[in-house]
Amino acid sequence: MVDLAFKSLLHDKLKFAITVAGVAFAVMLVFVQVGLFMGLMDNATITIQNISADLWVTSKNTPNIDFSHAFPQAYVERVRTIPGVERADNLIIWFSQLSLPSGAQEGTEIYALEDFSKWNLPWNIQSGDVEQLRRGRYIMMDNSAIKRYGKFEVGEYREINESRFKIIGRTRDARSFTTTPLTFMDYRLVQGLNQQQLTNRTTYILVKVASGADINTVQKEIQRRLPFNDVYTKQQWANKSRSYWIVNTGLGLNMAVTVFLGCLVGIVIVAQTLYSSTMEHLKEFGTVKAIGGSNADIYSILTKQASIAAIAGYVVGAGMAYGLRPAMAKVDLKLMISNELSVMVFVGALVLCLGAAMISFRKVASIDPALVFRT
Amino acid sequence: MNVLETQNVTKVFQEGREQVNVLNGVSLALEAGEIVALEGPSGSGKTTFLSIVGCILTPSSGRVFVDGEEVDSLNPAQLPEIRKKSIGFVFQQYNLFPSLTALENVQYALKIKGKTGPAARKEADKALESVGLTDRKNFLPRDLSGGQKQRVALARALAGAPPLMLADEPTANLDTQLGTQIIELFRESAKRDNRGVLIVTHDPKVRTIADRVLQIRDGRILQ
Ligand SMILES: Nc1ncnc2c1ncn2[C@@H]1O[C@H](COP(=O)(O)OP(=O)(O)OP(=O)(O)O)[C@@H](O)[C@H]1O
Ligand SMILES: [Mg+2]
Repeated sequence: MVDLAFKSLLHDKLKFAITVAGVAFAVMLVFVQVGLFMGLMDNATITIQNISADLWVTSKNTPNIDFSHAFPQAYVERVRTIPGVERADNLIIWFSQLSLPSGAQEGTEIYALEDFSKWNLPWNIQSGDVEQLRRGRYIMMDNSAIKRYGKFEVGEYREINESRFKIIGRTRDARSFTTTPLTFMDYRLVQGLNQQQLTNRTTYILVKVASGADINTVQKEIQRRLPFNDVYTKQQWANKSRSYWIVNTGLGLNMAVTVFLGCLVGIVIVAQTLYSSTMEHLKEFGTVKAIGGSNADIYSILTKQASIAAIAGYVVGAGMAYGLRPAMAKVDLKLMISNELSVMVFVGALVLCLGAAMISFRKVASIDPALVFRT
Repeated sequence: MNVLETQNVTKVFQEGREQVNVLNGVSLALEAGEIVALEGPSGSGKTTFLSIVGCILTPSSGRVFVDGEEVDSLNPAQLPEIRKKSIGFVFQQYNLFPSLTALENVQYALKIKGKTGPAARKEADKALESVGLTDRKNFLPRDLSGGQKQRVALARALAGAPPLMLADEPTANLDTQLGTQIIELFRESAKRDNRGVLIVTHDPKVRTIADRVLQIRDGRILQ
């Protein structure tokens, strides 16, 4: 089968390379921008996703997991009596100051439970035993803290709110949107550190629903019994935390603008190269018409060329984005490229390239085949 | 049977506010297997006439029959169909597809005519063989000489075996010897396949192979 579209496109290799590079650049831009955004958003809810709670009780109008407010810890007793609740425990998330050996102070976000092992927290333990946390003035810290705190080792001590704690283990992947490093500590210890706000108070209640019980029914019942709190399913709570950052930081808009610009750059480059290539090939298209070809024959050539440019550009652009991942990880940027994102960017690249090709359609329709006789 | 017949064909171009009468009633008949040379000075309307019988332009008045079928100038959608089915073109500028090899140029014309696959491949091979280009069939046009290019163009026009072949100054860009070779090939193709051939030309060599020579002056055929 003779493929005029393909051969003609590859005939001018430099031009083809420029077209592909244009698409690739736009594709990479979108991948990196959205990927970084997804990475940030993933950090914003990574603890919610990993903690094995089906329902979260928060104080009224807590905007996201990091901005916690305290309420009486005795509320947990009410939750425990509700049918369908298998387990309910208090969780404190609280910001504190951590003193470094250098004398400098840094913030830390403390996650405190009575029994960590019941809630899959922390979920990725590199060394140490969470069961030990309640046996003394112990903490576990996440590896990602190295960037902020410098190197630390198990067995060393750190001061939090002017109390000394021994590091008994390290974790991985525990982060927050705020980039403040997470520290894991016993529930009562954190209350002792912040007596004014936290004595007999908690910031969240984690709820596990018994298998067979209906989550929404349990959620409604908790809400009825704790009218001055909010109750969310895991997914609702993750969405609420995430959308807080998207909307309130302008991050969502920022990303939308970049994605829009990336698409614009791509479409302009493709439209411009396809159009100029159409103009260069007018006589050929005139010949196609003279030997009996229709406008549709020529449209299909342009459509095919645009699709080839889209596919090649996508492959190169996605490759570059994947290639950037390790480098970004080194500077602590998480580039998350989900399958959905890959599919969406591919479809987007294809649609935009086809749209760009259509700009040439009108020109093609008006080609006068009589031009084949002109010298 | 006439593969081409025109009756009183006229063509008026609108040049701004002026009307230019390019063809003033051209009547002509071309039989299958016949070669007609149409000669005339520059600007006499040769290409315009060829475009009209080639169903690329529509006449201002008059009737055109191609392969027994009347060309209805009120139905523009019919024109590409007639070109596809009944007409092979050879141009002064060759108009080959530069990204396709000689063979692919012929195959592409067949594809437009709805012929693909091994049968089309065979037909393309045969067409190239008939113009003596078998050994150059995988060359791109830029690697072919002018005469070779025009032979590829001829092979492409032969593809699909149209009953009518139209050529506009096919030898104008070729030297005497190559020009002679090409017009010999035109003659072969007309006689072998019983094809009607109309060649528009300044070139006196074409007379040597033509069955009839017509002169066109100011849009009229001289008797
Ligand atoms: N589209 C057009 N609009 C206006 N005038 C035209 C158009 N096409 C051709 N003409 C005029 O018609 C006349 C005949 O042109 P045509 O191309 O048919 O001549 P020709 O005999 O083929 O000449 P040549 O030997 O130089 O190729 C010329 O005066 C030309 O300017
Ligand atoms: Mg002419």
